[in-house]
Amino acid sequence: MKSMYDAQITAIVFDTEGAIFALGDGSVRFEDGAFSAAHDGAILCAVAHPSGTGIVTGGDDGRLIWHRRTDAGVLATSARGQWIDAVDASAESGLIAFSAGKTLTVLDAKDAGFRRDFQHERTFSGVAFEPRGRRIATSTYGGAALWFARIAEQKPTFLKWAGSHTAVTFSPDGAFVVTAMQDSQLHGWRLKDQKNMRMGGYPSKVRAFSFLSNGQLLATSGAQGAVLWPFVGANGPMGREATEIGFDEGSLVALVASQPKHGVLAAGLNDGRVWLADPPGQGLNFLKAERGAPITALAMSPDATRVAWADEDGNAGVSEAG
Amino acid sequence: MTDKIPVTVLTGYLGAGKTTLLNRILTEDHGKRYAVIVNEFGEIGIDNDLVVGADEDVFEMNNGCVCCTVRGDLIRIIAGLMKRQKPGAPAFDAIIVETTGLADPGPVAQTFFVDEDVKAKTQLDSVTALVDAKHVMARLDDSKEAREQVAFADRIILNKTDLVSEAELVAVEARLRKLNPLAPITRAERANIPLDQVLGLGGFDLGRILDINPEFANPAHGEPGHVHDEHCGHDHHDHDHDHDHGHAHAHHDHDHHPGARGHAHEDDIKGISLSLDRPMDGTKFTAWLDRLLGEQGQNILRAKGIIDVSGEDRRLVFQAVHMILEGDLQREWGANERRWSRAVFIGRELDEAALKAGFEACAA
Repeated sequence: MKSMYDAQITAIVFDTEGAIFALGDGSVRFEDGAFSAAHDGAILCAVAHPSGTGIVTGGDDGRLIWHRRTDAGVLATSARGQWIDAVDASAESGLIAFSAGKTLTVLDAKDAGFRRDFQHERTFSGVAFEPRGRRIATSTYGGAALWFARIAEQKPTFLKWAGSHTAVTFSPDGAFVVTAMQDSQLHGWRLKDQKNMRMGGYPSKVRAFSFLSNGQLLATSGAQGAVLWPFVGANGPMGREATEIGFDEGSLVALVASQPKHGVLAAGLNDGRVWLADPPGQGLNFLKAERGAPITALAMSPDATRVAWADEDGNAGVSEAG
Repeated sequence: MTDKIPVTVLTGYLGAGKTTLLNRILTEDHGKRYAVIVNEFGEIGIDNDLVVGADEDVFEMNNGCVCCTVRGDLIRIIAGLMKRQKPGAPAFDAIIVETTGLADPGPVAQTFFVDEDVKAKTQLDSVTALVDAKHVMARLDDSKEAREQVAFADRIILNKTDLVSEAELVAVEARLRKLNPLAPITRAERANIPLDQVLGLGGFDLGRILDINPEFANPAHGEPGHVHDEHCGHDHHDHDHDHDHGHAHAHHDHDHHPGARGHAHEDDIKGISLSLDRPMDGTKFTAWLDRLLGEQGQNILRAKGIIDVSGEDRRLVFQAVHMILEGDLQREWGANERRWSRAVFIGRELDEAALKAGFEACAA
């Protein structure tokens, strides 16, 4: 499937029925043609709803909206209409968390009355649930903060590391937190002892990272190939080298996508190409071989059988990965 | 989407007239659409579809450079704004960043040179400082930020000139000129200046450094090498005196007494103009400039220069913001053009004699 939109695609999400595209004009387009235009402004972030149906989007209109194929509804608004620029959700706990300015807000998809607002000292930019959905990591200047999702009054655990941290993720076993930094590197912490892991050497900012192969590999963008960090055993990548696959001197990997339980990796390049590595390290299968505008959104379906992509010019497609 | 979006920064303290100017820019019939970034708690009443609040989130980069501070909020906002841009049909043509009177312009400007995403999508056009003719002297006395905003600017708009006398204006201009010899000063009432004096200045564009603003390399009055050209803005006919005043105007009066804040006043920030009539050794000059910015970049707000390099037909042009340096060989010297090197450094606690000696030691 291929389409062309007259706005930028800012995020792609797969729910149980198919790919869903979130656009810079505030609309949401479902793969089957369904359409939802609920935001007044651009969609800045998106995640699949914890129920498995539909997409949750955050916009520069300060609204968090759940769009399904037949209807859409506002889940929450930010204070003073601040931009909602990061969102995550947990199917395990049924919670949704989003950032607006210095506030982290947690909602319960099954309990419309539940809302927690946690204040940070500075603006933060990334939100990630721990795999069981009970804790939340946020990335900010000077490190990452860890919050318990449901406790009303609390002080977060702060994982310190100098610099500006712009995105965050948990390893699938919950043992590590990894951030992407302004300074073209990753930083990681082993939670049990807060041991630091410096993961550097990138020629460019890391815009995307994703675990695969049962959490044994963390794939990242930001280099001429996709970078793979080994997360095996209690030490994770400490003392081990990263590998790079699909190296191409003339381009940069802009985005990566994978699913933690599957050993397949998709990469979107800044020259418009999209490839699949199954398994990583044994050659590339180009899902989109023609060059064009940089890839700006990339997603893999939960069963790792389909990959959806979009480029800066509004072209989008869904390819079978199998 | 390949063209970079120009970004204009407006600085100035509360009451200087920024909102008036901004609304003039936004409502004038130019067919252009702007995205405006304002301070979160700043003035209201801006007449535009797309107004975003910034929260002045300054942070240091981890690159070991202490003055390399950027604005994290601008990085996020610009990334978000770019998501509205449509292929072939932009949601806006330019971005205007309005800062508060307390904002340090350094991190704002450096964001556009340091962050790779911002750099890929936008181009810092210029920094314009708006000052209020009636209150600027007091502000410059008590506010470090006010001095820095003037010193940092590519253009200074001296607003509300109708509220003060000509003699006061002359004294204000003299002080502004000492703080910043690079930026042309435009007088205005109720921010009534032509928009082409605020937008599209190319203040950081190496190719336009001389073309738009030839006076900047002109050493101040009384300095060796000063050329009285049409940009001086004063009367050329009776200029045989040698004292260090600023730019007087048509009715200028050599006997005026500017008072305590006039000639005797020394600000901590000043602009130093250097020039040399002999060609320079390119290697020596580059090494000197690198060392200077490395050692004193924290104190150097802005620098610009055009260098006559020995054995090179093209002009070496550079501009710097703190330690961030951009330099390139630009167009060839004209056949009848005076070949000479000149540079201006604007900063705190600069040792003029040492700079002059260092600059001149680069002679080929």
